Amino acid sequence: MAKSFKEVLKSDKFIITTEIGPVKGTNIQKMNDNIKNLKDKVDALNATDNQSAVMRYPSLGACLLVKEHCGEPIFQITCRDRNRLAIQADLLFAFSRGIENVLCLTGDSLKMGDHPEAKPVYDIDSVQLIQLVHTLNSGKDLSGNNLDGGVDFCIGASATPSADPIEPQLIKYEKKLKAGIDFIQTQAIYDLDELKRFVSYSRNINKSVKILAGIVLLVSAGMAKWMNENIPGIIVPQNLIDEMAEAPKGEGLLKGIEISGNLIRRIKDEAICDGIHIMAIGKEEKVPDILKAAGILEV
Amino acid sequence: MIGQVKKPIEEILEYLDGKKKIVIYGCGGCATVFHTGGEPEVKEMADILTKNGKEVLAAIAPPFGEFTCYAPWSKQRMSNYKNQIKECDAVLMLCCGDGLQVVREYVLENEFGLTKSIYPSTNPIGHMGGGPGLFREKCIQCGECELGKLSGICPMTQCAKGLLNGPCGGTRKDGRCEVNPDSDCAWVSIYKRLKELGELDKMREIMAPKDWSKMQRPRQLEVEPLSLK
Repeated sequence: MAKSFKEVLKSDKFIITTEIGPVKGTNIQKMNDNIKNLKDKVDALNATDNQSAVMRYPSLGACLLVKEHCGEPIFQITCRDRNRLAIQADLLFAFSRGIENVLCLTGDSLKMGDHPEAKPVYDIDSVQLIQLVHTLNSGKDLSGNNLDGGVDFCIGASATPSADPIEPQLIKYEKKLKAGIDFIQTQAIYDLDELKRFVSYSRNINKSVKILAGIVLLVSAGMAKWMNENIPGIIVPQNLIDEMAEAPKGEGLLKGIEISGNLIRRIKDEAICDGIHIMAIGKEEKVPDILKAAGILEV
Repeated sequence: MIGQVKKPIEEILEYLDGKKKIVIYGCGGCATVFHTGGEPEVKEMADILTKNGKEVLAAIAPPFGEFTCYAPWSKQRMSNYKNQIKECDAVLMLCCGDGLQVVREYVLENEFGLTKSIYPSTNPIGHMGGGPGLFREKCIQCGECELGKLSGICPMTQCAKGLLNGPCGGTRKDGRCEVNPDSDCAWVSIYKRLKELGELDKMREIMAPKDWSKMQRPRQLEVEPLSLK
């Protein structure tokens, strides 16, 4: 990663990001291996923040590991576990350690995770979080006090292009654009016509925001069906489920890599959007294979 | 109203362990509606305690409409039972935590000068409206009502995450909430109503972070006392 993510966003390069899922515990060996393996193959590495509301090693800590390996981290920060003081404090710390990209998220419900009895915070929401980062970028805190040493974050957010009804999601997305973001990572998308509609909607409002299509690696037909039934905003079309089901036994993952590769290849070749964000949940070591299948990395 | 459910009787008996003489006090308000402290429940509790070897000195069920949390009414009614209250080892309250604490502070301590053991028999679960059968939480009393901007639907209460600027990514395909699949996504409901009212622009306004200092507890209010004559 020779360039900062901010510089990459300003260029015409097809942007590639992926993510590191922190460990539950202190055994950071696998995270370090994944970081080393991926940091020069992508433009930035997201560190997820207690993803799926499951308590883990912190996103800020994972970002520091990325920095230690001279990679470019994107600090995922949710509104679920911190109030506005804690969020600002973490952002100050992050910037002071060279973490300059932040992805502003609401955060999955605690009910979905492994500490359902915890008190949810949601002091602010994702739109207000984007505004908060801008406020810090302007040299002030949320109460208008001056910062002694400021920040200059590159700001990202998420969007859900597949939802029914889609309009409330798009109105929220419009607010994120209005609040001011540099890039957007979409929820996993498999229907590229749907992605095209979303990109056209987004560009009608703001041409400069870079759109990264979310690519979730399918590992089996069962996983695809499970996501359809259980993860709102993700729709895996039947033809892809069939393709996964027809894969010879033990080759589901290979088929999933091929499907992700094909999606990425089409997004890039048809210039549907500005880049991709690969979510290979728990299979981060397969990201290079996906990039090879997409023709981005040499085989 | 304050929604409430009965505590398990085992928990109540554990509180009353070592206490022989008991006064039971119900509520003619919410606890009557939620069947936790109306006349039948007061009677039932008296029977249970008697069967468990307690001596019930008084089992008081205020009539429907007489809220235990309203101190003037509780003072008036409990004055009729002052002797039993003086003599008892514990008071068991069949009402919400407001009622219990009003009776403890304004009636027992301030009015009668008594320091008595007092125990709850319900678990209050929120301010809610509706009925006669189904009640739902609609308002969290945030001190800064935004219903005027939100088509009369409060996302602070109806949205599982209390989001002010639109839905999270967790709206299910049927428009229901990922966290509470039995409920509609608050923001889909708000969207539909604003659209029908021709006021969708209201949904496009970015709402500022909430001023939670308005919910700094404990809150209090002083008003001109109501004339009950």
